[in-house]
Amino acid sequence: MLAAGMQPAEAKTEDGKWLIYLSLSYSGNSWQSEAANIVKALAKTPPYDETVELVEVISGTDPQSQISDYESMIANGADGIVSFPISSNALNRTVRHGCEQGVLFFMYDATVTEQCAYNVSYITSGFGENTAQALVNELGGEGKIFLSRGVPGNSVDERHTNGAMHIFNQYPGIEIAAEYYSNWDDRTTQQETSKALAAHPDVDGIWAQAGEYGAIQALLQADENRLVPMTGENSNGFRLALANEEYQAKGLSGVSAGSPPAQSGLAFKLMMEMLEGERDELPEDQRNIQYPLPWVTADDVKLCEGDTFEDGCNTFPGDKVPSSFVTEVFNPELLPELSLASALEGTPTPGATIQPLPAGVIENAPNEPGINCRNCDAPENLYELTTVEPTVSP
Amino acid sequence: MNPFYSVTDKQDTRQAQRLNSTTIAVLTIYGLVVLMIFGSRLVSPSLGGISQLMNVLYLSSFLVICAFGQGLVILVRGLDLSVASMITLGGVLSTTFMQGTNEGLYFIIPGILLISALVGVISGLGVTHLSIPPFIMTMAMGLIVYSVCLGFTEGTPRGFPAPMLNAFMQNKVLGVALPILLMLVFILIFTILQSYSAFGRKLNAVGNNPDAANIAGIAVKRMTISAYAISAACSALAGVLLAAYANGATLRMGDDYLLPSIAAVVVGGSSILGGRGSFLGTVGGALLLTTLSSMLSALGVGQGWKTILEGIVILVALIMLREQIFTGLQSMLKKPN
Repeated sequence: MLAAGMQPAEAKTEDGKWLIYLSLSYSGNSWQSEAANIVKALAKTPPYDETVELVEVISGTDPQSQISDYESMIANGADGIVSFPISSNALNRTVRHGCEQGVLFFMYDATVTEQCAYNVSYITSGFGENTAQALVNELGGEGKIFLSRGVPGNSVDERHTNGAMHIFNQYPGIEIAAEYYSNWDDRTTQQETSKALAAHPDVDGIWAQAGEYGAIQALLQADENRLVPMTGENSNGFRLALANEEYQAKGLSGVSAGSPPAQSGLAFKLMMEMLEGERDELPEDQRNIQYPLPWVTADDVKLCEGDTFEDGCNTFPGDKVPSSFVTEVFNPELLPELSLASALEGTPTPGATIQPLPAGVIENAPNEPGINCRNCDAPENLYELTTVEPTVSP
Repeated sequence: MNPFYSVTDKQDTRQAQRLNSTTIAVLTIYGLVVLMIFGSRLVSPSLGGISQLMNVLYLSSFLVICAFGQGLVILVRGLDLSVASMITLGGVLSTTFMQGTNEGLYFIIPGILLISALVGVISGLGVTHLSIPPFIMTMAMGLIVYSVCLGFTEGTPRGFPAPMLNAFMQNKVLGVALPILLMLVFILIFTILQSYSAFGRKLNAVGNNPDAANIAGIAVKRMTISAYAISAACSALAGVLLAAYANGATLRMGDDYLLPSIAAVVVGGSSILGGRGSFLGTVGGALLLTTLSSMLSALGVGQGWKTILEGIVILVALIMLREQIFTGLQSMLKKPN
């Protein structure tokens, strides 16, 4: 394995290009298509437009079909597979089989526990505990809150919620008034939040996963003059709301953090650098790579004038993208090749060429059993705060 | 005159009895809704008031609209499994055509309803002329429509609903949200359409006995097709409103409405086998389901228990509405005479 990886493998398609598969489990929301578009745009950016043949495969939400799709890709002589895996453990055997055939696996956002695959993910970066602490800080350590969760039974939702509860449980003044599953979707979040608000109109704060913009709409629907502090993920609508002075006057504050679609771009570029022999492959127990947690408070929100993240901007004007657009598609340092059209349409930025990744780009992720490793122990400081400091003591 | 013949004895009382049992069913459902809303005070003191009622009415409005169409299809012995996809189609078309402006709103909405009604006509044609089981036909149409939406949007529906529609979903008149008023208007129109118009009577006749309806000169196939067309248009309208409510469309936006649309119809006292049902019952069913789900959310029970309790309540409601119970009740009432 190691030997095969050290010498640049030979391009396998007939026209001499690398055969790369983009394997999605599910397509249907902004996040998924943005992440996929980033990879498509990069594969069309010179010099990859001459050296990469990218094939997109959407498998659906059933692990079995992604397994059989992986098998076909391996049989077709894939050089690399960049993928959003639907399950953290169901795909392991097929992934191992592919690794043995010399296929590079790069998972983004969601992870697999098979150690021969690379996981490029923010999951271990502490979204749950850090946003929970930020909310506790906003509330001064006391208040009734809602938890707007993701998809029931999903390992990512559990990781986030466990991290958050680790913090909330330390504060006896924090009362979880309602907890509901919003499926990472704006509309479901809005409806579920409306229902919870009917029972608890006096809620003091909301801790939300993706779909947070729906929670703001539900609050306004219940009482157009009252908003509360809340934390959520990276929708453009939420960031605009955080920075909206009218909303701030009604009580909105909080932080936007969470899953960045840009992970797919980093995964793809890392894989290409390894295929081209510009970067060494990593030993099997060091293939969990952490993507930094985006963290944008109301004060940090900065509107972009152009079509990319320039001069530290991180949000687009409301007339440019839908409110559900996930803003964290760019990373000026790691993915300078991208522009808005790359995320929306999958087209390359005119004139851009692929820039090498900075040398120190790889940050190892901590072990998390069931998330990115199987027979491993979680570090003792698993839920230690990394991004925010407590400003109130329990 | 024959002294043994009395007009009053021979009067056809079947219609009166049916009306009676339907009325009882509808009253039972509304009774349950009221009971649950007041009972939810026990769950949380903030519940059980006018604001919760408004909330339930608001959230029910989408379900009420698609359940009307579903009810018509069930009435003519069919089942519409394309509800979720038609909602998505309505949402995707509205955000795509409107692009965040009010321009052309007055022909965009009728246009969307027309397009979706045509999809419904295709389903209806498949059911009536090709004898494809409704279950399969509407499922296939649903898959096709969903895939067209997926391909067309490449996963991300773009654009926004018209600001006027957004405002419509948010504004209130005398403390009542406009969508609730719209729903009340629809309830009025739909009830007349289903129960008191020639069209509705013909649909009932087709559902009761298609052969008899045919002999009676009713264009059975055309009536059946129109039920599917109305159902598709209703779902698309719900999709337009949902997109305005959530300020954008997603491909999965209809998923939460398919099974509840069937449940609302059946809980509302309609027969799943067709031929019997009233829209007021369906509205009651939709209100019951929404009240229940909002109460369970407030209780903070886990997702598993929530779904179990929803299932149990649907079962209990169905058992309570069984025909035998009504006949039992009626004979109990008659005994004293």
